[in-house]
Amino acid sequence: MTDNHQVPFGSGMFQGQAKFVDYAHMNQQEVQVNTLDEPVMDTLLRDINMILYKLSYVIIPRMKETQGRKLRNCKRLDQIKIGDLWGPLLLSLLLAMTLGINSNQSSDTIFGTIFIIMWGGSAVITVNAKLLGGQVSFFQSVCVLGYCVFPINVAAVLITFLQSYLGFFLRLIIVGAAFLWSTFSSLSFMSSMMNEEKKVISVYPIFLFYMFLSWFCIFI
Amino acid sequence: MQNFGSNNDLDEKGHVMTDQPKIKVKFEPKPKPSTCPICTVEYYQQFFDIEQRDVYMRIRCSLLSWKPEFYQCVGKNPDLWGPLWISTTIIFILFAGGNLSRFLLEEDKRHFKYEYNYMYVAVLIVYAMAFIIPIILGVIMKYILKSELGVFEIVCMYGYSLSVYMFVLVLCIIPYNEAQWFFLMCGLANSTIFLLVNLWDFMKKNKQTTLIAVPIISFNLALILCFKFYFFRLIYAVDD
Repeated sequence: MTDNHQVPFGSGMFQGQAKFVDYAHMNQQEVQVNTLDEPVMDTLLRDINMILYKLSYVIIPRMKETQGRKLRNCKRLDQIKIGDLWGPLLLSLLLAMTLGINSNQSSDTIFGTIFIIMWGGSAVITVNAKLLGGQVSFFQSVCVLGYCVFPINVAAVLITFLQSYLGFFLRLIIVGAAFLWSTFSSLSFMSSMMNEEKKVISVYPIFLFYMFLSWFCIFI
Repeated sequence: MQNFGSNNDLDEKGHVMTDQPKIKVKFEPKPKPSTCPICTVEYYQQFFDIEQRDVYMRIRCSLLSWKPEFYQCVGKNPDLWGPLWISTTIIFILFAGGNLSRFLLEEDKRHFKYEYNYMYVAVLIVYAMAFIIPIILGVIMKYILKSELGVFEIVCMYGYSLSVYMFVLVLCIIPYNEAQWFFLMCGLANSTIFLLVNLWDFMKKNKQTTLIAVPIISFNLALILCFKFYFFRLIYAVDD
């Protein structure tokens, strides 16, 4: 009786082979192979958990740069290191829909505008950081900027539901708080990549970007 | 006497002899022949070789516009960061401030209609003013009038000349006609004086004063008229 008896596809055979691969690749390989025959709910729940895990980094803004650097370099956080674009896509869709539904005119213009600003803006900020000499990976940066839009989403949804109760100044306060929260969340990550003398000029576009997005929420 | 045997013999110094003579081969990665130099990030990095201290100095130079110090500020290192982000800030202020100014005047705040076209018009006007016009002017100056200033220095100068509008347009949110005209005129004066003072040497040397000064003044004037009559126009409700 030999050890290598035939095992059905996907359940044990590939796991046996995977132990010869190093850790960084094993995650990806395991995930890729096992998702072929697991229930759809499992795949969805795993992706949702990944998104929520990254959102936890946004909800508790990491002010210290050392934590930002840890976030970037940590080998165990393979998924954050790789960066995914599902989270930013969901958040941008949610924001564009929220603002589009509430506007009393041209909701398709708003939807398109928010999309373009969000994705084009993230790309421009990342290219700006790269041109100033930062060691930044394009997708990782777009991922972080996308996730940090979450507080602005929260503000937009709040204003949608409490529209009739909120005067202009209360909206301004809510949106202002969301804007500051977003900016501080992305600050530690972005400034950990730049030299001391170039921090302000690489962070200023982020400030402008979130202010642009927040401004749309005030007048819905 | 050296023999290069394949057994692990020791030579006279006690080192193990190997098959091949010991030649140090240094592997240097061959530089990739760039098929498209404009496509790489490194080509554009030369335009962003700037620190925040430099940006503060250059904006300060442009706000104190009557002193012809811009070339000393810039040195041999004109940049594109300033023109790009100053013009983007102005676009944001036009879009947000223009709508806010109308909102403050609106009596029935619930039926306020947000004007999204402001953004597209702002992008068109401001990027044309910050990039297209200085490129045309720079090309004319360099290739027809044979100046030693490059196109890039002119683009940099125009970009920083717009920095006064960042502050002026925020003040223009105040919905009073006279106040808006006053601030816009101050901005126009500052911006035009900055450009003329820094180009004065070139204009005097080539005796082409009119050819350069007239377009500069007229484009700046057109810019503030656009600001006033499109973004910050004050439409008062008409009583029946």
